[in-house]
Amino acid sequence: MTKNKNNIKRLIFSFLAVALIAIPGTAMAAMPDPIKKDMLEKGKKVYFKRCVWCHGVEGGGDGPSAERLYTRPRNFIQGTFKIRWTDSGELPLDINLINTVKNGLQGSAMPAWGEFLAEDEILAVVQFVKSLVQDRDWSDEDEEVNNVIGGSATSSSSVGAIGADVGKGPLGNPPWAETKGPYHLGVPQEHIDAGKELFMKNKCWECHGGEGRGDGNPTMKDDWGFPIVAANWQQCWNFRGARRDPFNPFVIARTISTGLNGTPMPNFREQLTGTERWQLAAFVNSLCPRKKIDPLTNKPVPDFLIQSVYTEGPVVPKIDDPSWQSPDTDDRIVPAPEEQKENPKRHHIAMAGQITRGKRNFDPKADNLWVTSRWSAEEQAVYYLVEYDLRFMSTDPEYPDAVAIQWPAKLQDLFGAEKPYFIYGDSKKPVDIWKASFLAKDYNATNAPNEKGYQLDMSVKEFVANGFDAVKDKESEGKVEVVDSIFHQGRVKVMFKRSLTTEGEFDVQIPSEQFIPVSFMQWAGRDKEHDEHMAISTWYYTILKPALPASLYYMPPIVGFVFICFQGWLVWMTKRTRKMYDEGKMRRDELPR
Amino acid sequence: MNKSLVSFLVFVVGLAVFHNAIFPIFTPKEVGWILNRYVYFLLFVAYLIITNLALKLKPPIAMMGMFVWLIGFYFYKFVLYPPIPWTLFITYMVMWSIGTFLFISQDPETFREFRKPIVKTIVGEYKLARIIVFTALPILVGMATYNAIYPSYLEPVELRTVHPAPPATTKVHGKTYPLESTNNPFRVDEQDNYKDSFPFLDADKQEYMKYVTEGGTIFFQNCHYCHGDQLNGLGMFSHVFNPTPANFIDPGTIAMLQEAFLFWRVSKGGPGLPNESTPWSSAMPPWEEHLKTEEIWKVILFEYWYTGWHPRTFGTESSTAGGGE
Repeated sequence: MTKNKNNIKRLIFSFLAVALIAIPGTAMAAMPDPIKKDMLEKGKKVYFKRCVWCHGVEGGGDGPSAERLYTRPRNFIQGTFKIRWTDSGELPLDINLINTVKNGLQGSAMPAWGEFLAEDEILAVVQFVKSLVQDRDWSDEDEEVNNVIGGSATSSSSVGAIGADVGKGPLGNPPWAETKGPYHLGVPQEHIDAGKELFMKNKCWECHGGEGRGDGNPTMKDDWGFPIVAANWQQCWNFRGARRDPFNPFVIARTISTGLNGTPMPNFREQLTGTERWQLAAFVNSLCPRKKIDPLTNKPVPDFLIQSVYTEGPVVPKIDDPSWQSPDTDDRIVPAPEEQKENPKRHHIAMAGQITRGKRNFDPKADNLWVTSRWSAEEQAVYYLVEYDLRFMSTDPEYPDAVAIQWPAKLQDLFGAEKPYFIYGDSKKPVDIWKASFLAKDYNATNAPNEKGYQLDMSVKEFVANGFDAVKDKESEGKVEVVDSIFHQGRVKVMFKRSLTTEGEFDVQIPSEQFIPVSFMQWAGRDKEHDEHMAISTWYYTILKPALPASLYYMPPIVGFVFICFQGWLVWMTKRTRKMYDEGKMRRDELPR
Repeated sequence: MNKSLVSFLVFVVGLAVFHNAIFPIFTPKEVGWILNRYVYFLLFVAYLIITNLALKLKPPIAMMGMFVWLIGFYFYKFVLYPPIPWTLFITYMVMWSIGTFLFISQDPETFREFRKPIVKTIVGEYKLARIIVFTALPILVGMATYNAIYPSYLEPVELRTVHPAPPATTKVHGKTYPLESTNNPFRVDEQDNYKDSFPFLDADKQEYMKYVTEGGTIFFQNCHYCHGDQLNGLGMFSHVFNPTPANFIDPGTIAMLQEAFLFWRVSKGGPGLPNESTPWSSAMPPWEEHLKTEEIWKVILFEYWYTGWHPRTFGTESSTAGGGE
């Protein structure tokens, strides 16, 4: 059925292409690039040294690493490639494969080979990969490729090609093409708003969720029957093909135009014009917080110091309260709104699977956490709001979702930079763990997006640990509370509260104005994660910042006034000297003749 | 006065043109003998001198002093590469300022000429200048005070030893290995003979490639998350951990270490580090908990084969002879 439809589509396309071959702005039907046989020997050498470990001896995506990777390595046998400029279901162009090898696929284990292999090695290995395709024939006359994006086969980078030759292709230029400047700031709001309407109209939320965190559909499978989830638009640095340019909407416009072969992602060329695809891309792109991206790892640079803001009077223990609002975006890139300037920042905490001790976790579900903090001298308490993106929550009471904050239990005994071992401490240096476990009320992963979010059934426990195999409940009374929490559109938000000082032997005591080590743990209940099978961060620091000193307000005017007095003195002195010269009381310094 | 204005324009416009149009030409990816930033800087200075001389502009000494000072600022801030830390920048600029002052006060005439506009501003002969300077300076001083008092917090800097001194022996899976005399039992042949061999395909035919294939298999099931598919320390989890995972491509890691050192590091991992190497935050597992002894040796064999480095040996001849016996 679909195949038939595809054929008809292809027919129409080739007809159009023939009819309008001279007119720019239409897709050009062509034969796929045939395999360059003379390169195969060299390509084989590269493949068997560098690629075979993941992609397998026959290119079936079944190398030794495959079972422990999520996303799995590509299976080349069917000729199904995600990142292309060609129409859905079609083979890719050579330039697409070359760019993928060069730039890697962010958010997966595929690294960028552009700086590692020589140019001729990359060209050769791409030809060898093409030769691994068994189910399709690169020189079959029925095979046809339509470049639906544009761009010539000589452009060196799919990302950088924006404007230059993409503009002449079927996708066309973005409607804001005349706006110069960085893509991440330069898109006019009207196009973003138009994109949002297209998002609603085309039901993108069915898979990508109400706010684009990929929390729409938990049941999807790829062509090989492996589970697959929709992209999280709020983490655009994980978009495939977005290397070193994650805030460029081109990557999204391309995916909307071509679909992703082998996945449930279709193309939307029938529903959307080129301009509309750019607008939708602009909307998707606008959801991603602007952070400084490390050019080597393609991930946001973590905020290694979590600054807890001093609060006059008591802290409002409500996540929705204005005093807790601040953007995920770095305020050094885009200034925060005026009313949020004094609010605590959202700190980016990078997370990885715990792959060091005991039962290891190779596919963590949380990539990062956002941590925001306030403290109050009046209450003698500190609050930590921990948030993270999670597509689907657990519904199994035996494996609830959980998130924890880890502290050195005996801060006062640590010397210098010394800390307990970052995974549950060690025999000499115990850690204090505040763990919040929760299930969402009335929640089902297949529910439609719920704008109100889900309340959480919360239970808080405190542990003391001397190693991953020595985690015990605390004997002292628990003092940690979760004062507010919610699961909203694919984001978990949990607000912890504790008094600064407590009685318990293994409770961390939290002084102000001191750097205190802190780290984070997260368990995805749906994946049956528990104990040391979790996601973890390394040690960060937190500091309870003091109130702004009063001298900040009276010292500058005083110093300014003193300086004015100094200026007056200077004028007086200079005038006096002049007068003395004029009256002949003093001789001017004489120049040598 | 008019000539001063022309001189000022020559400087400002010249700098704008040079910085925006010519600087990019002189900073290509491949730095050459002519096309580099320092030649560019010399050109800019030459342009200033030649234009001023040719047009006989003779700017007043105060303005010349300002030009000299700004050229130094421009050099240290924008031209010098790699960029220097701000403390060093301040030090250099203090020295440059002293030099500029020496240039101004080289003889009483120039010094007097230099002082003249300043004195005129102070006593009010340049009325507008006095109003501007005398209102702006106190405000600037007040703002600087505010910035100085405003509390700011930076994360503490932590230093660590990357290659700690190894112990004399290490005990793995119940057996004690003296680090100095232990060799990789799977290094059955000269590594360079297998540069062009294929893992998997040649594993049946060549014993060495069998071990490399097995080692690579273990690497790509366990190690690549941190050390990366290219063994460059940029695996998909590498950005999370601090210290960052070792880069084996770098000549400063496995290329300068003995295989026995690696064996000790792999077996004992982060928790086996001494305190100066911050064992509390190293994500390196003690691999003896996950792998067998021979698997550890095979992974080490693979790492050298893949990167092309040779393990360090002490007294090449004796160690090869020892291995042959």
